[in-house]
Amino acid sequence: MTHVSIQNLSKIYKGSKTPALDELSLEIPSGELTALLGPSGCGKTTTMKMIAGLLDPTSGDISFDGRSVLNDKPENRGAVMVFQNYLLFPYMSVSENIGFGLKMRKTDANDIKKRVGEMLEMVKLPDLGDRKPSELSGGQQQRVALARALIIQPEVLLLDEPLSNLDAHLRLEMRDLIRALQQEMKITTIFVTHDQEEAVVLADKIALILDGKMKQYDTPQAFYKTPIDEATARFFGCHNFIKGKALDGVFDCAIGKLKIPKLIKEGQGTLTFRPENIKITKDKTKENSFGAKVSNIIYLGTQTRLKIKLAEMEFDAILNPNETAGLAIGDDVFIHLPSEVLWKI
Amino acid sequence: MSDRQKIVLLLLPAMLVIVVLFFGGLIIGLMRSFNYMPIIGLTEPNFKAYISIFSDIEFYHSFLLTFHIAFTSTLISCVLAIGAALLLRRSFVGKTIVNFLFQLNLTIPHLVGAIGMLYLFSQSGSFARLAAEFHLISRPSDFPALIFDPYAIGIIMQYVWKEVPFIGVIVLANMQSIGEDYESVARSLGASKWQSFWHVLMPMIFPGVLSASIIVFAFTFGAYEIPALLGANYPAALPVLAYQKYTNVDLAARPEAMAMAVIIAILCAILIWIYVRYCRKRIRGQA
Repeated sequence: MTHVSIQNLSKIYKGSKTPALDELSLEIPSGELTALLGPSGCGKTTTMKMIAGLLDPTSGDISFDGRSVLNDKPENRGAVMVFQNYLLFPYMSVSENIGFGLKMRKTDANDIKKRVGEMLEMVKLPDLGDRKPSELSGGQQQRVALARALIIQPEVLLLDEPLSNLDAHLRLEMRDLIRALQQEMKITTIFVTHDQEEAVVLADKIALILDGKMKQYDTPQAFYKTPIDEATARFFGCHNFIKGKALDGVFDCAIGKLKIPKLIKEGQGTLTFRPENIKITKDKTKENSFGAKVSNIIYLGTQTRLKIKLAEMEFDAILNPNETAGLAIGDDVFIHLPSEVLWKI
Repeated sequence: MSDRQKIVLLLLPAMLVIVVLFFGGLIIGLMRSFNYMPIIGLTEPNFKAYISIFSDIEFYHSFLLTFHIAFTSTLISCVLAIGAALLLRRSFVGKTIVNFLFQLNLTIPHLVGAIGMLYLFSQSGSFARLAAEFHLISRPSDFPALIFDPYAIGIIMQYVWKEVPFIGVIVLANMQSIGEDYESVARSLGASKWQSFWHVLMPMIFPGVLSASIIVFAFTFGAYEIPALLGANYPAALPVLAYQKYTNVDLAARPEAMAMAVIIAILCAILIWIYVRYCRKRIRGQA
């Protein structure tokens, strides 16, 4: 188990003026699964490649268990990267692919064969050792890529968008497999993704990177409950914001006075609440209840998204379809914002 | 008109050229190699020409020399071309200019290159004179024999000079389409730079290298002008020997020239066959 420490890591590519990654600092506890989350081009994969030693940082440091690894060659670093498109060697069989790392370490051939067999069992592909990668499905290729990385028992496992190329049902299967293998082998694992859902379901902690800078490093729950700023909240699908001022447990804003939790800091700011935390009622409740108008209804299958107009502002609400039965565009409703779901940024 | 008919019609001019000029020439050559030349009264096909060349030691010397020229030139060109492609795929200041210079001699005809070699590397050439001028050797004729030499060094130098960019361009395009991620994976899995080149990149570029090598080998094995210009009198390269036989005043030597040409053609055909078989096997393996 290895503790990974990233200190003020920056990368400016040749010919570019803006940094691809700007002063990223991160402490990844040993044995944890951490997600680097952000949109395409935000510097996630650059960070991974620098951790793996495949790219040199412009400045900053990366250390494993307190020892800087910047001068270590990729092959000696102990960090293995699994690429998004798997990159299985096309001319090798599945077994040869999995055994590649051991072969490079000049491990005894019989030992390689034995351990490849074990890995094939582990990733649930026991009979496919002789196949060529092109004869495998996307999910199977992903498993082989994972087995190829895990067989050398790396200190740090780096996964680049591990679920993004898979179908919905395979994503669930793969997510469980990655989680199970990571727990079993206790490998410090970092994965990058642009999909917040993927990050939430897989990671112990998420580092959100926007425009090359780290916005927030926290548990998945915290990103929903206590986002650090508007951009972070928006990235996690929250578009409900009201400007105002917090004082004595009350937030004074354009829609009125809202009761807020005591631990929210006083002063000017923006109040936010998740669309799934809005309650729609026919009658006014005793607190944090406001009359509003339904401006749009979008049926999403298992959920319904409502657009609610209130004080010239529009808010998103996500409800169960049975809660919205009978509602129509233009209906007058009351929205209830329980104080415990409110957060000031 | 159906699409199929259109395709046939469009291909017809090219097919006519190939069939008439290539196969026509090949068939006439083959017939003449079997001593069938009605124009000079030879109407009974036989193997005399083949028997004659196979029982002549000069043919074996020529064959070995030609094989040596083709094999050595191809091997050296491949090694240098792969090295050059590895350098050229990196980004560095002045890459465009270096790339342009690297490919420049693709446009220069072999003959011009050969004359350049002659001027530069012969015992009366510029380097011999310079070496004498700087007292590295006492007189230009002491310069090592690189042209008209029995080891065909001059010929090989000329072919290498000309073929390195040819193979290099093919290999470079191949490397660029593969990208560097496979090598990154290999490095990440514990392979050294050399191991990732040898175990990962090399097998992936091998089909490209092989196809370019076969073209170069076949060309250098069958080319006449460079060995004629830069080669020693004895043994002469096979195409030179074939030409000598062909231009011999004795018309009876022509079937031998044709037999040699047929042997060169068969060798090239075998090489192409090996390549196609290898590629099919490989494509099946990856399918």
